[in-house]
Amino acid sequence: MASVEVNQDELMRLLRSVARKDRQAFQQLYSQVAARMFGLCVKLANHRELAEEAMQESFIQIWHHAGEYHRDRGAPLAWMMTIARYRTLDLMRARKVRQTAGDEHLEQVEDKRGGPLDDSLRTSGSAQLTGCLDELSDVQRDSILLAYYRGFTHDELSETLNSPVGTVKSWIRRGLMVLKRCLER
Amino acid sequence: MRKSPERVEILAAEYVLGSLKGPARLRFEGWMMESGRVRQEVWFWEQQLGALSTAAPAETPPPRVWSDIQRRLWPEQATTTLPDSAKAGWFWPGWSLMATAAAVLFAVLLLQQPSPDVERPLLAGAIIKADIGDPLWLLSETGRGNLLKLRSVAAGSAESGKDYELWVVPEDGEPLSLGVIPAGDTHQVALSGEAQSSLTRSRTLAISLEPAGGSPTGSPTGPILHVTRLYEL
Repeated sequence: MASVEVNQDELMRLLRSVARKDRQAFQQLYSQVAARMFGLCVKLANHRELAEEAMQESFIQIWHHAGEYHRDRGAPLAWMMTIARYRTLDLMRARKVRQTAGDEHLEQVEDKRGGPLDDSLRTSGSAQLTGCLDELSDVQRDSILLAYYRGFTHDELSETLNSPVGTVKSWIRRGLMVLKRCLER
Repeated sequence: MRKSPERVEILAAEYVLGSLKGPARLRFEGWMMESGRVRQEVWFWEQQLGALSTAAPAETPPPRVWSDIQRRLWPEQATTTLPDSAKAGWFWPGWSLMATAAAVLFAVLLLQQPSPDVERPLLAGAIIKADIGDPLWLLSETGRGNLLKLRSVAAGSAESGKDYELWVVPEDGEPLSLGVIPAGDTHQVALSGEAQSSLTRSRTLAISLEPAGGSPTGSPTGPILHVTRLYEL
């Protein structure tokens, strides 16, 4: 297992140096966040080649735009992970990478509403969002987490959760608003 | 479309989640450029949903990712970055050079990923483009285990006293032998757990020409005929 502990102050210092085009700092930044970022890209894309390309794109973007980071964008790691997520989604859309959602999954989702999202992600995700995910219905939560971690489109969610697209859209929208009201409390 | 607070709120959330797509996504990006309030809303969701990103298991990327980033950012330094990639495997540069150009290896491989709940077959394939159009061997997974079925298509027999040997090329360290493979026949190869996990990571196979019966040393001794990367289909 890769070393995953990161120090946000250290990342902040490195980002400032990268903004001044310090290549050594850039390499240190890479070594500190690469494993976490690659884990997310692989999980999202379910496709190693694409995840590797997304990593490249993300770090090239970080090199060019480190100076645009500011505290309102969240912690440095979250900012970089957000970049990695967007680049992965962009590549997935460009390549139209389809998620594997075969009949096996449909049956499993129908049985347990569990589906392709493993429990570890569901529970740790809940903890991160301070329990607010628990206020969502199962289908709202699963739709949002599948979209987040796997980049599922509305159509793919509709197929995987065996429900009409309009219903899935409404689960996501209502779920996000329940989440926001909870997070704002 | 009016930028009502309610609309901005939901579209920002969907933008960050990724479910806002196509023209609607582009239009919303226009809103972000025009309005600080819209950007603040997006940043809110990036922070909140960003917390989820740390729950994905960390995984070390292969060394070539960093090499490629350097090569793209600073092409003038490309030669100085080579040692990084060379560290990934001692034989790689040599293998690439030795691989004959006039050969096509087409491989289709199903890798069964271990999963406690759902068996998710991963379909993978690879093509090395060269001068001739016919594939030499086809590879496919058989059954639910780690069994590869290798079907000779256009490969000729090895010269007298020689055999073809199939290897998994790992990201680091020595290649792993998958044994001698015949030409002109169907052959099955059992993947050890080590070979399967190496192949899942490196996505690379190679075929070398060895003394009859296979390499006497456990490492390739003869010329490398083909090196192929696998791609998920």
